[in-house]
Amino acid sequence: MAYGVTEKKLDHLHWPLVLCTLIICTLGVWNLASATKNAPVLMALVQARWMGVGLLAVAVLLFIDYRWLQTLAWPGYFAALALLAGVAFAGKKVLGARRWLSLGGMQVQPSEFVKLAVIVVLARWFTRDETGARKGHYGIFDLWRPFLLILVPVALVMKQPDLGTALVTFAIAMTMVMFAKVKWRDLIIMFAGGGVASVMAWKKVLKDYQKQRVLTFLDPGAYAHGAGYHSIQSQIAVGSGQWGGKGWGEGTQNQLAFLPEQHTDFIFSVWAEEHGFMGSVILIGLYAFLVLAALDVAANARDKFGSFLALGISALFFWHAFINMGMVTGVMPVVGVPLPLFSYGGSSVVADMLGIGILLNVSLRRFMF
Amino acid sequence: MLVRRDFDDIREIRPRAALGALIVVCAMLVLVVRLYQLQILRGEDYFNQSIANFRKSLFVPADRGLIKDRRGHTLVDNRPSFDVFMTPAFCKGKERDEVLTKLREFLHLTPEDLDRIRADYQKSWLSKDRLERFKPFLVALDIPRDQVDVLEGHKTEMSCVNLIPTPHRAYRGSPSLGHVVGYMSEVTPDEMEQYEEYRRGQTIGRRGIERRWERELRGADGKQNIAVDAKGRELDKDAQEALIPEGERLVPATPGNNLVLTIDERLQKAADAAFPGRAGAVVVMEVKTGYVLAMISRPSFDPNMMSGRISRAQLKELSEDPLKPMLNRVMNENYHPGSTFKVVTSLAGLENSIVTPGSGISCNGGYTMGNHRWRCDKPSGHGLMDLRRALQFSCDVYYYSLGDKVGLDALSDMAHRLGFGQPTGFDLGREIPGIIPDSKSVTPESGSLRAHAINASIGQGEINVTPLQQAVAYAAIANGGTVWKPQIVRRIESPDGKITREFLPEAARTLGVKDTSLATVRGGLVAVVNEPGGTAYRSRLPDLQFAGKTGTAQVMKLGQKQKLDPSAQQYFSRDHAWFASFAPAQDPEIVVVVLNEHGGWGAEAAAPAASKTIEAYFRIKREEAAEDVPAAQAAAPVSSAAVVTQ
Repeated sequence: MAYGVTEKKLDHLHWPLVLCTLIICTLGVWNLASATKNAPVLMALVQARWMGVGLLAVAVLLFIDYRWLQTLAWPGYFAALALLAGVAFAGKKVLGARRWLSLGGMQVQPSEFVKLAVIVVLARWFTRDETGARKGHYGIFDLWRPFLLILVPVALVMKQPDLGTALVTFAIAMTMVMFAKVKWRDLIIMFAGGGVASVMAWKKVLKDYQKQRVLTFLDPGAYAHGAGYHSIQSQIAVGSGQWGGKGWGEGTQNQLAFLPEQHTDFIFSVWAEEHGFMGSVILIGLYAFLVLAALDVAANARDKFGSFLALGISALFFWHAFINMGMVTGVMPVVGVPLPLFSYGGSSVVADMLGIGILLNVSLRRFMF
Repeated sequence: MLVRRDFDDIREIRPRAALGALIVVCAMLVLVVRLYQLQILRGEDYFNQSIANFRKSLFVPADRGLIKDRRGHTLVDNRPSFDVFMTPAFCKGKERDEVLTKLREFLHLTPEDLDRIRADYQKSWLSKDRLERFKPFLVALDIPRDQVDVLEGHKTEMSCVNLIPTPHRAYRGSPSLGHVVGYMSEVTPDEMEQYEEYRRGQTIGRRGIERRWERELRGADGKQNIAVDAKGRELDKDAQEALIPEGERLVPATPGNNLVLTIDERLQKAADAAFPGRAGAVVVMEVKTGYVLAMISRPSFDPNMMSGRISRAQLKELSEDPLKPMLNRVMNENYHPGSTFKVVTSLAGLENSIVTPGSGISCNGGYTMGNHRWRCDKPSGHGLMDLRRALQFSCDVYYYSLGDKVGLDALSDMAHRLGFGQPTGFDLGREIPGIIPDSKSVTPESGSLRAHAINASIGQGEINVTPLQQAVAYAAIANGGTVWKPQIVRRIESPDGKITREFLPEAARTLGVKDTSLATVRGGLVAVVNEPGGTAYRSRLPDLQFAGKTGTAQVMKLGQKQKLDPSAQQYFSRDHAWFASFAPAQDPEIVVVVLNEHGGWGAEAAAPAASKTIEAYFRIKREEAAEDVPAAQAAAPVSSAAVVTQ
């Protein structure tokens, strides 16, 4: 039973990671209950149900060796691309963007799963590719294939348009590239070059109204009511929480609907308003712990594939958490990215739980040959 | 036991994972620092902003003070009505357009109205002050009852629209009181800048009492703080109580003070009914106090119309009316006094010992000075005249001669002593001084000093007075020499009826004229009305002696009025008819001055109105005594007034 799980092996389960996940899930549902107190549907229960589905998937995944994912990588990747293509043709249009696909009566957001597919396919590529081992390192031009693998889905997501998800997918993939044997010098050249080029383009080539148009085009939802309004209201919500917050269900910015999208992209504002600096630091700590635990799983994985999978998942949680909370607190521009396990949304929750499942799986099998 | 398949790669990954962990910790610390900045350093500021978000301040308009006549009869009060306001912050973009479409339909707005509303909306939306868009602006003033019902019915669809119950001014007194009470209209942006307690859409007093006593009448608006959600919808009661501390929920309005005027509305109506002219003025004033009992400037404007929704066409009509309804003729127009001025010439002659009551001047129908002959009304001449008879018959030649002897400066001096040539001090807004020429003011080109004196002696030439000045001067002659500052406000009362300010009679000066001179002039004025041949003999009253002087003032120039059609031109070239009187002849109580613009002969066009007004005064007085109205006693403390002045 090389691929099985015995009772003994449950000792090898990454319990701190499990505990951390469960705490975040619980707080997430509790917080969502406050954010959607005035909604006609009990969204917190719906969310909890999706978490249950996710946990079930995690449990099932634990019985299957993650190495099977190598086999599933390509079919998974192309299935994801197909879903994205489906969105482009048959997607549901909401606020000027096509992001949802109707599958068997459910509204699915394929871009959430695309991230996982990209992580798996990149992990497989870096595991199988011999170039790195042969040369001892990767040059920039050796990486054209992984770049192609990244850019195709990112471009499709951009086209929806969904700037946030596209950026975060790209960031996750680039983080994985950073962990491959790319020379530091090359990495620096790559990022510096890319950075300088985009800054130059933004500052010199584009005029103000063009930038506004680009932003509006890329993410119409965020700019529908005048750029900046969301950001300002969100900062008021966060700031007004002060030390201890206004208490569960007592946040006026949240309850009186001054906060935009308070149950999805701006869910952290609700938390920060109602639980203050203390609560926010605790939540940031939990996410930091989750990401560090995931990195720990990566560093201690049995093989390169597991390691890269775990790295990708770490990046997934890190970038989501950081971009989301950064946006909400005004250190980043408003781009629609969900806060993992906190923002309302079935696709996102299930994808996150699958990520956790993969992490636990990699961690569980670190001692096995 | 650690055995790894691709150990090299893992070895490669570990330091990078450690670096990644460091980056993660740093990034999270950046967030913590940012949160510290937002929640701790600027927390209080943001907390207040979050309160400002849901807190909406509705103003509670103060009830404006009432204006009553001397009996406590209400002349001006407030009637309930609704104004429509809109808060830009609560409807933007598409919703705004929908709301505007609905408002246009429900309120029957004109495209002009809509343009104005859009402009106001844009203005507050684009204001640099972000809070400006949370301030409601006026959409429609004083909407009819049925529109109120329609708006109430569609309240939920238009959360940015508020119906604000605002009491509007109701002018219930005689329409002839227009120039007394004034009217209200919306504050201008300049005024709002000047007085910060006024908000857009509020009204401010214009003209008359409303303007002069704005501060007393206005009171102070209250404030109601309510909690609203992001769409501007008012929250339920429990939420209100949780979010707004009890002490801050309602700051009640302080109602304005009430004004009790010296005006007697019954007399005002009677005087208005008695006045026959298209244009002119009537002033009835107490001789012993200077309190104005009735004050008419005809034509008047309708304060209800001026305070309500008045169209541009109506305003244009008012401003272009050749009869100038917006002009307060009592105090803001110059008139030649004509023969009513002969009392001034008489007093100047007596005081300067130019004439004695018995000395005679012969009238042969004219008076010659140099190569100019001034004619008398009676071409054949009045014969030998003494002062009493000269007044009685209004003999011009007597006064030409007297004026010539007295001289312009002595006339001017006496006129000034009686209150001419300067504002009377009447506290009801701007007042013109009139014109009394003297040797310094006249130019040699306009004629010799003697010619000026001769013209002035009968109230022509450059002499110009206001009806109010006439009343003050005749009152001084009647009361034995007190020149009053005329007053129209008797007292100010707080809303619960306590007197906060009382206006006692105020003398501008005493005449300093011998009692015998005054008695002589009064005798002449009695003869005018009560002796056969007197110019106002036909207006005498059977059971009451009163005294007065007719005047027929020539209107020289037509000036700008030449564009008028012939019938109007004929009207505007007719003489002004004057009658200045006091009653009773013995121990006078009131002075009545009637000016009938372009009315013709004073005896025909002004004296009868004065006579009827005097009659009405005593009839009302008798009725009042019979009714024993307690308020009547409070109205005029005649005896104490006399004490104050002496």
